[in-house]
Amino acid sequence: MTNEAEHVIEVEHLTKRYGGLLAVNGISFTVRKGEVFAFLGPNGAGKTTTVEIIETIRTPTSGNVRLLGMDVTRMKRDIVPRIGVLPQGFSSFDRITVRETLQYYSRLFCRGKTDIDGLIGLVNLKDKTREQYKNLSGGLKQRLGIAIALVNDPEVVFLDEPTTGLDPGARREVWDVLLGLKEKGKTVFLTTHYMEEAELLADAVAIISRGKIIAMGSPRELIESNAKYLLLTLQSIGDKVFEIVRNLGFEPVHDNHKNIKVRVAQTDDVLKILNAIKDAGASFLNLDVRKPNLEEVFLQLTGEALREDPKQMASK
Amino acid sequence: MNPRIISANLVVKLTSFHRERTTMFFTIAFPIILILVFGTIFMSQDNVSYHLCVQDLDQTISSAQSIKTLEHDGEFKITRVDPAANATQYVRDNKVNLVLVIPKGYENSLMQRTDFDNPDASVTITYIYDPSSSSVVTKMQILDAVLAGINQEMSRMPPFIRSAQRSILTRKYRFIEFFIPGIIAMSVMTLSLFSTVDSDTELRQKGIIRKLSTTPITRTDWILSGILYQFILAVISTIVMLLVSYAVFNVSLHIDAWLPAFILLDVIAFVGIGMILTRFVKEAQSAAAAANSISFPMMFLSGSFFPIELMPGFLQKFAKMLPLYYVNEGLRASMVFVDNLAALKDAAVIGVFAAVVFILGIMATKWEEGQ
Ligand SMILES: Nc1ncnc2c1ncn2[C@@H]1O[C@H](COP(=O)(O)OP(=O)(O)OP(=O)(O)O)[C@@H](O)[C@H]1O
Ligand SMILES: [Mg+2]
Repeated sequence: MTNEAEHVIEVEHLTKRYGGLLAVNGISFTVRKGEVFAFLGPNGAGKTTTVEIIETIRTPTSGNVRLLGMDVTRMKRDIVPRIGVLPQGFSSFDRITVRETLQYYSRLFCRGKTDIDGLIGLVNLKDKTREQYKNLSGGLKQRLGIAIALVNDPEVVFLDEPTTGLDPGARREVWDVLLGLKEKGKTVFLTTHYMEEAELLADAVAIISRGKIIAMGSPRELIESNAKYLLLTLQSIGDKVFEIVRNLGFEPVHDNHKNIKVRVAQTDDVLKILNAIKDAGASFLNLDVRKPNLEEVFLQLTGEALREDPKQMASK
Repeated sequence: MNPRIISANLVVKLTSFHRERTTMFFTIAFPIILILVFGTIFMSQDNVSYHLCVQDLDQTISSAQSIKTLEHDGEFKITRVDPAANATQYVRDNKVNLVLVIPKGYENSLMQRTDFDNPDASVTITYIYDPSSSSVVTKMQILDAVLAGINQEMSRMPPFIRSAQRSILTRKYRFIEFFIPGIIAMSVMTLSLFSTVDSDTELRQKGIIRKLSTTPITRTDWILSGILYQFILAVISTIVMLLVSYAVFNVSLHIDAWLPAFILLDVIAFVGIGMILTRFVKEAQSAAAAANSISFPMMFLSGSFFPIELMPGFLQKFAKMLPLYYVNEGLRASMVFVDNLAALKDAAVIGVFAAVVFILGIMATKWEEGQ
């Protein structure tokens, strides 16, 4: 049996059906107090459905979901004041300024005093407090959304794709904010398409695909337990090297930089390939051997790309 | 219901409204433009029927006296036409609908009759008129009545049948005074209906409603603040309309507690309809179209612009099924006729309607999405 101090979120056999579509298919997981939990999956995997059921704004078809020890289908009123939510594709009132927006949301929670300036500092919006929402850039809007999710000093923060659609710089700035949350010891439930995000921020990761959790653990555990192979990358000119590798019985693929990528089980295989190239009198420009990252683990597990991204499509 | 949450919402809504300059302008200006345009049209119509052109070919003291009588008894404003002019041509050229011609020898015949009791002495006064004018018939009837009065007086017998007029109205009212309450009812309707539909679909599409559903605000708080906001706008807009009407048309309207009461009922009824619409129409554009299809028939058939008595019978029956009809009638009962009982009856009808629609609207409003 679990207790609240340990597990802030407990999901058991959760299923959600939209008409004929089984969007979430009997998933179970727990989130511990104070950890950053990343829910990772491609478009349509069921991330938003799951997170919004936990946030009490969608109703599950079956299964048990407890948040802070309370049943989410029955105790919405008690749960809502204790959580903070950044919905997917967050948006706010166009003509209302950053400060006014924060004041508005803090008044909705009817809390005596919210440290609005502290929040503005935390998400680094000090120069923009008098700016109307419609004039903010995408990254600033997301940071405001995160600040709004914190107005009630929540025990659990839900962030549904906080960095989707942002450029790398803006994404990094949001990550800084999230690292700040992590330092403050907040429990954070994060959904994302981005492996780097999960690898950088998360203590625990659950990978969801087509409504099912297919792997769970810390980023390191996931790599260790699933990536029982090495990834060899060769840069060469012409098709000769590719042919040699294939003739040895491996399955090389080209990525979009015309590099040859080969999965090998052990270091001996690398030597075998290099020797074959040498014997054939062929050559290569560059070579790289490494353990796969979380992204590649994901590819291996699901056989599908995390994003509709040509980079991944080519290496499939 | 939480007053703090409702006031927080009001602040956001009013601030947004205040910062949306164009929306603000059109919200206030549209009814004013209607009042100015229609008011001017009705004013000039009122004037036409009280205007009379007279050509005096006799140019004597007696004929001048008779013109005075016309001016006084018929309450006409007299324009004198040059005796040398061709009256028929005058009617055509000056776009007047009637010229009354007093013939030469008027005084002469009058003296024959009054001083020498010659029953054969008479004069013929000619109306030269344009039959295509709609108000000319009324004008000729008034003239006939005035002339009959003069004839009767000359017979030196006291009249046998007299008539007395007792109006059911406490006073005479002008068409513009009939019109203003209708415009108030109509603009409060369009304001409530369209801003509810617009803002609800916008907030829904932008996901703000979804965000709000993760805060302690309840559906009731949200809807009440919407109604309060619309009511404030409606009151502001009504005040501006009344000020313009007083300043430009010098209307005389009775203002009491019925006015805010009917505005509030109007707001609740149409915010309710707006909420029901947004429940069933998801896209902002089709929601606006749906709102149009409700407001247009209401605008033209419920007697906002003209009395429904001018419409064929079946349309009148239809008008009486429209909620706006009762707001129109109620506002007129209180502002023009000062008839509290009639106002109360209308208030009861629209009140029941508002309550039903409002409850349906609350039930229709989906707070949590993607159930
Ligand atoms: N309200 C709804 N009605 C019907 N189907 C829905 C609804 N919401 C989601 N779905 C479907 O359920 C599946 C899971 O959707 P969900 O939004 O949970 O995915 P997601 O992982 O959040 O995807 P994304 O990364 O695109 O946000 C999708 O196929 C989606 O089309
Ligand atoms: Mg999603």
